[in-house]
Amino acid sequence: MPLEIQIEKGADGPAAGTVTIKLTGSLDTATAPELERQMVSCLAGRVNHLVFDLAGLKFVSSAGLRLFQVARKQMVARGGGQASFINMQPQVEEVFTIIQSLPGIGVFKDLEALDRYLATRPSPNVWPGTQK
Amino acid sequence: MILELHATPEEVMRAVETLEQFAQAQGVPEKTIFGLTLALEECGSNIVNHALQRDARQQFQVAIEHTGDDFIIELRDRGPAFDPTAAAGRKPQADPDDVPGGWGIQLVRRYLDGIQYRREAGENVLRLIKRLGGPAGPKSIC
Repeated sequence: MPLEIQIEKGADGPAAGTVTIKLTGSLDTATAPELERQMVSCLAGRVNHLVFDLAGLKFVSSAGLRLFQVARKQMVARGGGQASFINMQPQVEEVFTIIQSLPGIGVFKDLEALDRYLATRPSPNVWPGTQK
Repeated sequence: MILELHATPEEVMRAVETLEQFAQAQGVPEKTIFGLTLALEECGSNIVNHALQRDARQQFQVAIEHTGDDFIIELRDRGPAFDPTAAAGRKPQADPDDVPGGWGIQLVRRYLDGIQYRREAGENVLRLIKRLGGPAGPKSIC
């Protein structure tokens, strides 16, 4: 099963600094290198909030978890940066639970839950939709 | 069913897709199939990346068998002797600097009911066992 990667960068304004990576398909030993290449490219810019939208992710192995770990460490190293996960399928969430290895990563049920969380954060970068 | 595979990630995923189709045809529940495919991906990747050093000229073998209540996957490679079950007792760390290399065997342990290793005639032989009468999902986390 291939992996489709869609990357959306927040426009100027409230969403600046936020990058959403939408993954569809299988994140495994064969597809992880391509995600790693694209992550390196997109994290080269000014990013302080990385959101992984996993609604379409059917399969993840430790090769994919390693990339999530790398992303988290890079965001934390930027000082106040964060990686978040939304819309996990149950089988993917189970894998996360088993590993329990991603401390400091926000796991949110959906965009609304992420919005609520971000609205309480004292961050200059706010997810679109939280500013009414 | 026996698959002869070259030591590349793409070949590992070819085996995973073959396993998935075989298990679906046998009526194995989807949740169980997820665990079986994850286990094969982790163990196959380990062979390709470590035992055979991603040398595509090297080959390894995957045998898939459904006998009664058991679903069995057997992997054979001619890499250096390595017993992944010896490292299987390590608990996952909460430390962000934890080395991910050990995560794969942790996942295999959770989703399967048995992992047996032996060195036989210059080959690593890893036998993964799932009892289909048991719970489909991962075992409880201790």
